[in-house]
Amino acid sequence: MTGPWSGVRVVEQAGLTGAYATRIWAALGAHVIVVEPPDGHPLRRLPPFAPGHAGAESSLWWAFFAQGKHSVVVEAGSDEHAHILASADVVIGDVDPALGPPQPAHDRQVVVAISPFGLSGPRQHWKGSELIAWASSGLAYTFGFPDRPPVAAATPVQFAAHVTSLYAVSAAMLGLRGVRRTGRGQVIDLSMQECCLSLAPETGVPLFLDDRVHRSRHGNRRAVSRPWGLYPCADGFVSILIVQPAHWRAMANWIAEATGVDAVLDDAFNEMHVRWEVSDFIDDLTEQLTRPRTKLEMFIEGQRRGIPTTPVNTVADLRNDPHLASAGFWRDDEHPTLGTLTGPGAPFRVNHDWWQWASAPQLGEHTAEELAAV
Amino acid sequence: MHQFVAWLRRGCFVEGGIVGVLDDVFVVELAIAIAAPSCARALAFHGADVVKIESRNNPDVMRLFGSVWARELDPALYMDTSPYLGEMCANKRSVGLDLKQPDGLAAALALLKSADVFITNYSTPAVRALGLGYDDIAAVNPSIVYVAMPGFGSDPAQPYYEYLAWGPNQAPIVGLDALTGYPDQEPAGIATIAPPDYFAGLHALTAVLTGLEHHERTGEGSFVDIAQFETSVSCLGPFLFDNALTGRCENRSGNRLSWLAPQGCYPCIGDDAWVAITVVDDEGWTALAAAIGGPANDARFGPLAGRLAHHDELDELIGAWTSARTAAGVAATLQNAGVAAYEVLDNVGVLHDPQVRDRHWFQRVASMRFADGDVFGSHPIQLPETPGSWWRAGPSMAEDTVEVLTTRAGLALIEIDSLIASGTAFTTTQPEQRLSRPYIDYADALGIHRTAP
Repeated sequence: MTGPWSGVRVVEQAGLTGAYATRIWAALGAHVIVVEPPDGHPLRRLPPFAPGHAGAESSLWWAFFAQGKHSVVVEAGSDEHAHILASADVVIGDVDPALGPPQPAHDRQVVVAISPFGLSGPRQHWKGSELIAWASSGLAYTFGFPDRPPVAAATPVQFAAHVTSLYAVSAAMLGLRGVRRTGRGQVIDLSMQECCLSLAPETGVPLFLDDRVHRSRHGNRRAVSRPWGLYPCADGFVSILIVQPAHWRAMANWIAEATGVDAVLDDAFNEMHVRWEVSDFIDDLTEQLTRPRTKLEMFIEGQRRGIPTTPVNTVADLRNDPHLASAGFWRDDEHPTLGTLTGPGAPFRVNHDWWQWASAPQLGEHTAEELAAV
Repeated sequence: MHQFVAWLRRGCFVEGGIVGVLDDVFVVELAIAIAAPSCARALAFHGADVVKIESRNNPDVMRLFGSVWARELDPALYMDTSPYLGEMCANKRSVGLDLKQPDGLAAALALLKSADVFITNYSTPAVRALGLGYDDIAAVNPSIVYVAMPGFGSDPAQPYYEYLAWGPNQAPIVGLDALTGYPDQEPAGIATIAPPDYFAGLHALTAVLTGLEHHERTGEGSFVDIAQFETSVSCLGPFLFDNALTGRCENRSGNRLSWLAPQGCYPCIGDDAWVAITVVDDEGWTALAAAIGGPANDARFGPLAGRLAHHDELDELIGAWTSARTAAGVAATLQNAGVAAYEVLDNVGVLHDPQVRDRHWFQRVASMRFADGDVFGSHPIQLPETPGSWWRAGPSMAEDTVEVLTTRAGLALIEIDSLIASGTAFTTTQPEQRLSRPYIDYADALGIHRTAP
């Protein structure tokens, strides 16, 4: 085994809150063992499933997030489970704070204990979820349209869980550095609520304590200036974000060319707050430009003109994106039962041969080998 | 040395002399906004010495969002009042350098010569034009961990290489905006924050820690290229597999999921008051149905398949029940019954949240500009045996120029004076009149924790 983290043994007993970043850690050389109950890890039961397949290997969540990991099936609390835990340098797991803080198996072990609200405080026993992480951090309150209930960010993606997993793996890496410095491990208490609070500065408490402006949800355009947000196109939506004066001058020229309305070139509109005060006027002209064009035309031509535009991509759009294809982003996973799975490869690039990938393990694939080793 | 640093930062000696597991790491940041600064902020919390190179001609966009109440002040003071700045640049030191002057670049390279990590989210053409591309820095310091975070990567051969990437414009292109909101409405997007910025910053954190590990083991430096576009698309793996296999395109779903139900935000007593509820299993549903009573106990809703099929009906039943109650009351009732529920907090709610208060999430931290300190969030990663901490709010621009150039770049005071005289370096002195945030008394009334010193 090579890779920058080779030789580091990680036992993962988390759900979605650990899965994303431990996949990356495994590809960077860590030996990641997922402890599964006999009926399989919960991710094995999440749809979508590979067409024509059923059972423990068919979930595409598992097929992606378990890439490069080792599967060990043991009963929770059994001797075998204890042996596996004792062999680990790092344990990353969801914990129930009602059971008290987890106990490391040895002095040099780093334990990352993930819970909805942390291992202390009056609500430490409260149950959580992805949606509840967004709600309890003040962020769900700012997402959505005013005429409908607040929404989580990209609900199907479970983004807050992936953010939490990246904090969990970084915490473990810092903990290992602590072992090197002091010879001792530690138990790291990671709260999903706090992971989401750390994403809030643009709408959060420090700003509120400064201006006491009540920020609530206001749809897909931000209440600071115009154009700033999503605009309808012939085949979807384009995002336009005018921050700097040069962006606006390029945008105003394009609007004037497309609509014949030269009034938009007036210097008064150079100010962000003036464009905000006449939002309806600016939005109407912007939509006259965007509606007949495709999102890709708006993106390519906008960027050519020096305007920060991006397409509002769907999953299908991303699969066809010319940049991702050209940059070698996609990786074919030759899965032993599901066939070729084309999806994201390395999330970043490096000038070393760090990345190594393998398919998600079959249920219990490594049980015998891992138990024999410990 | 560690004892001395500890004394400087904490006003006391720390047992074992460790003031964070990264107190032996020196980081140089050339960055704007959130993506790279959020990563360096985590390093600084855990003890790294993070020096931010800043220029008057091209200030970090964070400094352009000064406080509304400060607009009438001297422009230099206004720039330093931005609440983002105190938070995103906490514990960092600021050095004022004009990198477009040859001796400014030379001073930066003198800093980088002893740095362990360089992190930037300037565009690749911009850092290369400054003479701070990977090859430039590796020539003076081959063991550095160099982390570049351009929106679309550092490879000039790729189609979007030169494209502009601004935080709120990234959630749309990576697919997150189209997946946010209700399926019968326009995408709601995530207009109020920029999740891909933070997501890229978190990947950068793992990359920096991996680069340091690689260096410990091999002595080699690393060049890490993080395209925000690619980091966020990575978390869509299952849906990208699905699209490749079946052509299906996952769509936004409000607050609903295909593997549990019901889930949503429901109206409560009060102005724009909501409670979030997630029923994860059959037991959870039995408990919620018992609380609601009446038609909620219909056998049709018993199994998950029934709850998914009748989600609209369930939303009406739940909404009718919550509408007559307060969000806090519903959350407490349901949590007592073992159901995941929480108020949809606004900022006032967050400030009063029992967990947020008990765990001292918000902290009041010393600041050169604000006599009463500045208030911002702690860090999600707390290491109890080797604790990190905030020891000061983000600095004024160029607050630490002289100290940094003497201790880290090895320049003599006379050399620094000459850089300042020519305008290549600049510095800030302690303001005669220190400011105070208008609502700091409110923070006091809430008992927001003060960090030492």
